[in-house]
Amino acid sequence: MATVVLKNVKKIYGGKVVAVHDFNLDIADKEFIVFVGPSGCGKSTTLRMIAGLEDISEGTIEIDGVEVNDLQPKDRDIAMVFQNYALYPHMSVYDNIAFSLRLKKVPEDQVYEKVTNAAEILGITDYLLRKPRELSGGQRQRVAIGRAMVRNAKVFLMDEPLSNLDAKLRNQMRAEIILLRKKLDTTFIYVTHDQTEAMTLGDRIVIMKDGFIQQVGTPTEVFERPQNLFVAEFIGAPKMNIFKTQLVRDGNRFYVTPFGTKIEVDGEKGKMLAEKRVPTGEVTLGVRPEHIVLSGPGEHAIPCTLEVNEMMGSELHLHVYTEDETRIVVRVQTLNLSMEERNSLVAGAKLHITFEGKVMHFFDPTTEQNLLFG
Amino acid sequence: MANTKKTKKHMGIQAANRLSNTAVYIILILISIIWLIPFVCILLQSFRVESTYQVGYVIPRQWGLDNYLNLLNSDFKQWYINTFVIALFSAVFQTIIVLCMSYTLSRFRFKMRTFLMRFMLILGMFPGMLTMIILYRVLKDLGMTQANSVPGLILVYIASSGMGYYVSKGFFDTIPKSLDEAARVDGATRAQVLYKIILPLAKPIVIYTILTSFMAPWGDYVFARYVSMGTSSGMNVAVGMFGWLSQDQINSRYTMFCAGGVVVAIPVTILFLCLQKYYVEGVTGGAVKG
Amino acid sequence: MAKYSDLEYLKLPKWKRFLYKIASFFTSIPGGIVNGVKAIGRFFKMVGLGIAHFFRDLVLTFVHGDWKTKISYVVMGFGNLARGQILRGLLFFLFEVVFIIYMIFTGSYWLSMLPSLGKTGPHEVYDVVLDTYTMVYGDNSFKILLYGVLTIFFIAAFCYTWYVNVKQNRIAEQILKSGKKLKSGKDDLRSLVDDQFHKTLLALPTIGITVFTVLPIVFMILVAFTNYDGTHDGYNNNLFHWVGLDNFNTMLGTGGDSSLSYATTFGEVLTWTLIWAFFATFTCYFLGMLVAMAINKKGIRFKKGFRTILVLTIAIPQFISLLYVSKMFAKNGIVNGMLMDIHLISEALPFWTEGTWARVMVILVNIWIGIPYLMLIATGILMNIPADLYESAKIDGASAWKQYTKITLPYMLFITGPYLLTSFTGNMNNFNVIYLLTTGLPTNPNLWSGATAVGYTDLLVTWLFNMTTGAESSYYMASVVGILIFIVVAVISLVVYGLLPSVRNEEDFQ
Repeated sequence: MATVVLKNVKKIYGGKVVAVHDFNLDIADKEFIVFVGPSGCGKSTTLRMIAGLEDISEGTIEIDGVEVNDLQPKDRDIAMVFQNYALYPHMSVYDNIAFSLRLKKVPEDQVYEKVTNAAEILGITDYLLRKPRELSGGQRQRVAIGRAMVRNAKVFLMDEPLSNLDAKLRNQMRAEIILLRKKLDTTFIYVTHDQTEAMTLGDRIVIMKDGFIQQVGTPTEVFERPQNLFVAEFIGAPKMNIFKTQLVRDGNRFYVTPFGTKIEVDGEKGKMLAEKRVPTGEVTLGVRPEHIVLSGPGEHAIPCTLEVNEMMGSELHLHVYTEDETRIVVRVQTLNLSMEERNSLVAGAKLHITFEGKVMHFFDPTTEQNLLFG
Repeated sequence: MANTKKTKKHMGIQAANRLSNTAVYIILILISIIWLIPFVCILLQSFRVESTYQVGYVIPRQWGLDNYLNLLNSDFKQWYINTFVIALFSAVFQTIIVLCMSYTLSRFRFKMRTFLMRFMLILGMFPGMLTMIILYRVLKDLGMTQANSVPGLILVYIASSGMGYYVSKGFFDTIPKSLDEAARVDGATRAQVLYKIILPLAKPIVIYTILTSFMAPWGDYVFARYVSMGTSSGMNVAVGMFGWLSQDQINSRYTMFCAGGVVVAIPVTILFLCLQKYYVEGVTGGAVKG
Repeated sequence: MAKYSDLEYLKLPKWKRFLYKIASFFTSIPGGIVNGVKAIGRFFKMVGLGIAHFFRDLVLTFVHGDWKTKISYVVMGFGNLARGQILRGLLFFLFEVVFIIYMIFTGSYWLSMLPSLGKTGPHEVYDVVLDTYTMVYGDNSFKILLYGVLTIFFIAAFCYTWYVNVKQNRIAEQILKSGKKLKSGKDDLRSLVDDQFHKTLLALPTIGITVFTVLPIVFMILVAFTNYDGTHDGYNNNLFHWVGLDNFNTMLGTGGDSSLSYATTFGEVLTWTLIWAFFATFTCYFLGMLVAMAINKKGIRFKKGFRTILVLTIAIPQFISLLYVSKMFAKNGIVNGMLMDIHLISEALPFWTEGTWARVMVILVNIWIGIPYLMLIATGILMNIPADLYESAKIDGASAWKQYTKITLPYMLFITGPYLLTSFTGNMNNFNVIYLLTTGLPTNPNLWSGATAVGYTDLLVTWLFNMTTGAESSYYMASVVGILIFIVVAVISLVVYGLLPSVRNEEDFQ
């Protein structure tokens, strides 16, 4: 249980390639923080610097108030779960979990107690004498977590622990990690490229791209107030629809004019545009698929043609294109449609779509920063 | 109609397979015979007692163990012991040195690493034979030549063995680095990582290295000849027995050479065949990836 | 050569694509060479920058350092001792003391003699007591050269240690300034099994390589510039001296009778060496691959048995198998004897006595020795070729031959490219096979190299070896040959490395 503080941390490879730029972050005690971003964004490198597996080129990292730059991984009091599990192939599950305890010269009876305890929690008691290669992917994952658990470390690091599992198992393990976190009650740093994992697990999410932090915030914050276009597109699935459009002002009211329509920015967002004195003119408008609705024709409705209708079960993903061939994804709840409506949604069908002001996100077309929250 | 055609073709495939397999069998059996002939000949001739020189037939006319008994009364015993001692020592120390070198180059990223590897690559381009002249003179000054050549040879074999790190580095490279990292996070020092995690996993390459470094001294001719410099008691089997085939000795020693060859080959071959699995693993894994 | 874009290339007929590929291979050779040269250039640039850095550091550290640091420039380890790092300080100090004592008592002597390699040789002195002339030995050129080189190594090591000592002071100052603690001797020892573990592991191997490989090679390179040979052994008969580039002129110059010069001999031997290396490498490579494919063919049984029979040649020491095979084909050997018994021939076949016969024979016997090894390697790789490649080829209608040329061969060549290179250069220096089979014979009367006869099957290395044996051994010429071998091998390696599709990125394998 400890705080982790990263100050101006940089990682430079071979004197040239900068993998992580000026990373600043305070992680509170017992917080569950998630680093998320596309591959090559520097999230794993940052985690490995915290673990001591990579040198820190510049800046400092403190764990529990102590600078750890020059400490070996073994002296940092951390536990880590690796993407490919990194189980020692020549040791049984029991020995794998006991390895760190034995290195610390913990008496065998305590080792036994701790290992069987962890095995109990993870449901791997039956496999304690097996070798890792005799286990399934999910079981290996549990062993890897068990190995990290018994250490009672100050910080628990996880590097894409679920990415080698199939979709079903991943959902199950995700839930178990949430339970595990409650039991362990320690600081977690979790790296993933999957925004769903990030949203469901993290107290706070750090979104990274090309070595820079894009935004740090709670899941709600990054979802509702993405600081820039990248975050907006990265968080949420299917990803946010983006169109270039004009922001026009008519008295106290703001309008956007995508595809020849005129939709009012009503409610809170409109007020904020006025308060922030956002200049009119070209803006990049973002609307999430689930916030677009089907409507009848009108000034506020965008006419378009249905291309593909993906039936996802409880919802439909409608891929439509407008008159100028811009692709838009619309997510509709299956329940909200009548049988008749559903049957009419076939490729080639002509539709009208629209959205409200409160779901709009405005970005600067050049800097890509959020015009309201950036 | 269509049905018969289909079966016909089906049988065609089978017949073609059988034909090509037969051809392959014939080739393989021929190859096996060619490969075995020399060894069969050497074995048969070692039992020939009617004459000691080379003859134009294979099957002895008179069988006996005279050649083997003669070995016991010659310097062969000494050569054999010399070679065995050298092989034993170099197996132990070469293995240690090669493993140190290859593990380090595979796992550590230190400043001089690329330089060191390039430098050794360049060194390897010089013919090793060139260094013999000076090493001989130095060993002579240290009193490690002629009759005392065994320690001298051991020293020389061991000293430069670090250059042969290629194969085992290739093997170490295939052990995932995340195992090292996991162990380090678990609280192991680098040294503990080596002997608790890596060495148990590197068993094939350890055995491969032991095997090759044990076998090398049995075949080394050049350096052993240089260092022993005509002194029989300091020779290894290769140098000693090479002399038996010289112009003036071949007629009286030829069958003895065959017997000696059998005595040398049998233990080494048995050892090799027992550990063949590891050798193959080393060669196919390490040699290519190296 | 016209360059095609990707789309243009795809429109070409097949044979044109093939020609285009060959043409681009050859046009890329200069590029390969340039890349090689550039790599050398980069290397020197790196070294140059390193040296510049070195001096800048020294000056800056002195100017900005405190008095402890400044004293350390003269008394090594002083800064460490003054700052409480006793272990390090003592080691530095001890090293300096040892170095100074060595230089005063012997080092300076060897260095001073190095330019002349000795002044007084062995000579007879009149002994008044015994009333005879007795032999008195003077300087020892060999030792002077050896210890001279050693002393230079030692000085270099000292300079480096001195630099490290200075650098440590700077680092220590920085650490203390930032309010942290310095590492104690105990920490240092502990780090030798942890973060500095590589130093512990490398200590022994690198010392061994330095003393038993680097030092001898430097020594022998220097020998090429002296007249060290059997009659100038530097101590017992005559001293040897520096002769500049004379030996290289003798080796490569065309002066005198051109049919009997070192240059022609070198040219001939080099040509044969390259021919030999080419055939030895590629015959074994392709035949070994074929044998591996035959053994691994579906439906063939006794795979293990066939493999074991072949592997016997690896297990049995080469001196037994090669010497025995060489005698089998001797004039009165089994092969000739049996052939005569069945009256196939009336006179012994000149397997080893006729130049061309001997050359073909060594290549053939080498196949016998080499196939098993290649068979093992090829088996390993063949098993790794994904089976679905073959399955999809079969579905596409590829014949067995097509599968071989389109899948097996490219895959093998790609994986074994680097191996082929090392195998080629290894064969150039394949002493054992040649020497144990023929010792380089039969003698080629058209070639001449001083006192050493040169044979048809002599490679550069066996030639070199023959020059170093016997009373009239001409060590300096052997050294010249050795250096030339190095140059040939290095050039071939550089060119091939430049051409390999992906110069092995070692991190790719991890």
